[in-house]
Amino acid sequence: MAIARHHRRGTLALLLAALTAAGATLAGCGTDAQSGTGSGGPVTIQIWDGYQSAEATAFSHLVSEYEAAHPGVKISSLYVNNDDTLQKVLTAVKGGSTPDIAYLYGSWAPQVAEIPQVVNLTQVVKQSSVNWNDFYVGERDVATVNGKVIGIPALVDNLAVVYNKKLFQAAGLPLPGANWTWSDFVADAAKLTDAAKKQYGTAYVTPGTEDTVWHWEALLWEAGGSLLTADNKQAAFDSAAGLESLQTLRTMAVTDKSMYLDPTDETYQNLFNSGKLGMLVTGPWDLSSFPNVDYGVQVMPSYPGSSAGHQTISGPDNWVVFNNGSGQVSAAEQFLTWLTAAPQVKYFSMQTGDLPTRASVASAAGFDSDMDKQLTGVSTFIDNLSNVKQARPQIPQYSQVSTVLGNMIVSVLLGKSTPQAALAAAASQVNSDLAGS
Amino acid sequence: MSATSAPARDELRPAPDDGLPAPRRRLRLPFSPWHLVLIPATVVLLFPFYWLIVTSLETEPDALHFPPILIPHVLRFANYADALASAPFVRFFVNSAIVTATTVLCNLVLCSLAGYAFARFRFLGRGALFAVLMATLMVPFQVTMIPQFIVVKWLGVHLLAGVGIDHLGALILPNAATAFGIFFMRQFFRTLPLEYEESARVDGAGRLTVLVRIVLPLATAPLATLAALTFLDSWNDFLWPLIAITSPDKMTLQLGLATFQGAHATEWSLLMAGNVMSLAPMLVVFFVAQRFFVRSVAATGLSGT
Amino acid sequence: MAVNSMTRPGPGRSRPGRGGLARRALDSEQFNGWAFVTPGVAVILLFGAVPIVWSAVMSFQKSSLGSSTPFVGLVNYRTLVHDPVVSQAIQHTLIYTALFVPGTMVVGLFLAVAMNRKIRFISVYRTAAYATMAISAISEAIVFIWLFDPSYGVVNFFFSKVGLPQQQFLNSPSEALYVIVAMTIWGWTGFAVVVYLAALQGVPRSLLEAAAIDGAGPWRTFRRVTLPLLSPATLFLAVWLTINALQLFDEVYLSTQGGPLNATTVLVYYLYEQAFEQFNFGYASAIAYFLFLIIIVVTALQFWLSRRYTFYRS
Repeated sequence: MAIARHHRRGTLALLLAALTAAGATLAGCGTDAQSGTGSGGPVTIQIWDGYQSAEATAFSHLVSEYEAAHPGVKISSLYVNNDDTLQKVLTAVKGGSTPDIAYLYGSWAPQVAEIPQVVNLTQVVKQSSVNWNDFYVGERDVATVNGKVIGIPALVDNLAVVYNKKLFQAAGLPLPGANWTWSDFVADAAKLTDAAKKQYGTAYVTPGTEDTVWHWEALLWEAGGSLLTADNKQAAFDSAAGLESLQTLRTMAVTDKSMYLDPTDETYQNLFNSGKLGMLVTGPWDLSSFPNVDYGVQVMPSYPGSSAGHQTISGPDNWVVFNNGSGQVSAAEQFLTWLTAAPQVKYFSMQTGDLPTRASVASAAGFDSDMDKQLTGVSTFIDNLSNVKQARPQIPQYSQVSTVLGNMIVSVLLGKSTPQAALAAAASQVNSDLAGS
Repeated sequence: MSATSAPARDELRPAPDDGLPAPRRRLRLPFSPWHLVLIPATVVLLFPFYWLIVTSLETEPDALHFPPILIPHVLRFANYADALASAPFVRFFVNSAIVTATTVLCNLVLCSLAGYAFARFRFLGRGALFAVLMATLMVPFQVTMIPQFIVVKWLGVHLLAGVGIDHLGALILPNAATAFGIFFMRQFFRTLPLEYEESARVDGAGRLTVLVRIVLPLATAPLATLAALTFLDSWNDFLWPLIAITSPDKMTLQLGLATFQGAHATEWSLLMAGNVMSLAPMLVVFFVAQRFFVRSVAATGLSGT
Repeated sequence: MAVNSMTRPGPGRSRPGRGGLARRALDSEQFNGWAFVTPGVAVILLFGAVPIVWSAVMSFQKSSLGSSTPFVGLVNYRTLVHDPVVSQAIQHTLIYTALFVPGTMVVGLFLAVAMNRKIRFISVYRTAAYATMAISAISEAIVFIWLFDPSYGVVNFFFSKVGLPQQQFLNSPSEALYVIVAMTIWGWTGFAVVVYLAALQGVPRSLLEAAAIDGAGPWRTFRRVTLPLLSPATLFLAVWLTINALQLFDEVYLSTQGGPLNATTVLVYYLYEQAFEQFNFGYASAIAYFLFLIIIVVTALQFWLSRRYTFYRS
């Protein structure tokens, strides 16, 4: 096969054309998105948040309202799933491209406090207009690390019991009362379990992550125990309270088999919505996932003999400000203080069904019933905010402690170890982790 | 004539195009027995798609069911309209299309060139270079993503804005060639017998001409395969766009789909509708490309070795 | 094996305008070799090799979110050696790889042979196989989580019908990894089918017919003729699937999150936890390099073994 030489130029030209086209695409696409003050131009604040559907609509309404009132400010918000935000923020931090404001889980606060670009808001929140003490104590504890305020509360929640009224009635059980105890819960769960119908009394999430841990921590606190010693240097959960709380879970998971174990952390929602679960210990965010169930909400049961009553646990999240220059920082702070002021908090809660972050909003007349019209049962969660008395230890090693505790709980739930053994093993592991760092 | 006795009828039947000689069947089925294997296999393979499509057409309360409802009573086609309306999906689709098409094109060109060189040329450092390229496949992205972010940011500032953070070029350039593609093409090129290339060279053709005029036409199957696989990787990429893109109008389709997945509540039926719409171009590409995956042996003109 | 580089035409052939040092240099293999590889290699080195070197440097630093990242030498590597989770992760990663790679190749080869024929609906069958590659990891995970649910899943339902005991699957530390194996084999079969199907096109019918004429049955022909001719594709798949298996992450992240009780914690999942949940970037980089070492050794072994078993027709 003879190939004429002139063909070569043709193919070479084709190749070059293809590469040039690629190059042109790269060069041609994209204008530079400037975030920051041009000379005399508007200030653009970049926010990374995870708001969807109702929350997204409410948030963008508030953003437009603020922009209308402040013509020199533009707010650009980017959706980032809250679970992914940390990866994106950490990469941005290391790469020097931080946003102005980001929505970050409260459980990350101890590490977030170590990021040098995070702005110290202690002086900002001291301003009387901010009314810092109007935020619930659980939120303030999570926004503060070693006396430094690193965020403004964006969200608050807590754990309570959501139950299926129809299943209770079918089993002939009285609906949970405000003074119920854990023995009531365990007994109810056993009666609501029906192997033939593949129906369970309750469920527990078992991926071994913090979700597994914080559900149990509420029980630990209710039993009168605490996680770590006051100086956060040693484990304190291997106590009678620790034992009692683990026993409660074990009875349901292993002995009564009334507890569905969900390693995926998602299945339980659809199961409850399909009428296969009698009760769930969960938070207000799940309520909108239960359209098919006539549910009721009750505070968590208590342990008689413990003074902690119906104490619950909360998982607040923070708006965090990053330092991209003093102009950006002050614009961001101004926006945040406006966004988290009482009128905006009330608006946001009413539109989304999210709990209000401010006590003044929650206690306003008619608020509870108005919220219930928006989302059934949420008023119990709002009232339950007064049952939040403490927060998880705000130390950087908390994530290590959490891993140890997660394994402890899962091994008890799977019947792989007894509560005593699991507690002892976890305590010694936690002690060495805390000592080692 | 083979020693085993066979009815004359079988020998006259043309050999099936399957790389195996015709089996001597005593039982004559009206269809090929391979259907009995392929149909169950296809059911197993396609079942998740069935679930995906069904969920995308369910009402949200039906979608929030466990075990999943496989035969819904009510179908809601409006989910697709709702999904499209909830975010600027047309924009996301266009962004993904630009990124993916350019990435595929670049890969086909660059990986053919490099793969051919590794397969056919002897040059100093060839072995070491190939080893280094393979090594880049062996470190997980979770570890390299932060340095890659920094490199891309630097390029955007010092070289060309279009390839920096928050530009589509940042999604294209790092994937314009992959060690996978080079390895893949090299393996294929090494299976080709040398005769045609050698005779073309003897006739005076330059290397590039040989590649483009002789070798590539023989390589439609692997090229189509590489194109389809690169398309897939680029279209489905999530983590790098998540990190590299910071404005909503540059988001790709996968980032757009993530807007249905909240940390606590997922809008399942909308998410699945979005997924189906995202899958559709890929399935079309595969359906079209699969014709090229299977080149009829007769067309190659290769005689026995 | 035949020499696979090409020789320049001998001095006997003269062509107008040829000759001269510059011409010969430009035509040389060295120049052409480098010219051809440079564009692709430049991209890969810049975006692949540079980050890899960078993370190597990170592995010698104590992680920190702050701006200071002090060098601590080999501390991270020493911790790695004593970390019990790392040895569990190594075990799980190797078991997973040993099951996943041959499993996918066998299923893929079987289906590719089945699909390498012109029967009715063949386009549908092939598209079905390829389509499994297109489905997102999260959809795959959701379906398998449901199929293997201990109470509500189809697999346990099937078991109860045939008299096998009910299993805990993803809830059981001893079974969870195997569920992930099943899930990923399903997800990768399409890829193996694509590669083998392309390779089967290179098997000349003349050879198969010759074998048939010589009296070889279908299985024998397959083993003696087809398989050896498929060996480059087999090597490619073995290497590529192994490299991916050793870096398993998505399916674990989307289903079991490393549990229950670390039963599905594989190396990349563990390093992700270290980097993005414990914020130990330095330690995570060290784990990545340790994994890198494993992958290099395994891949080199595969290439070395392939010399004996891979047959290139050139």
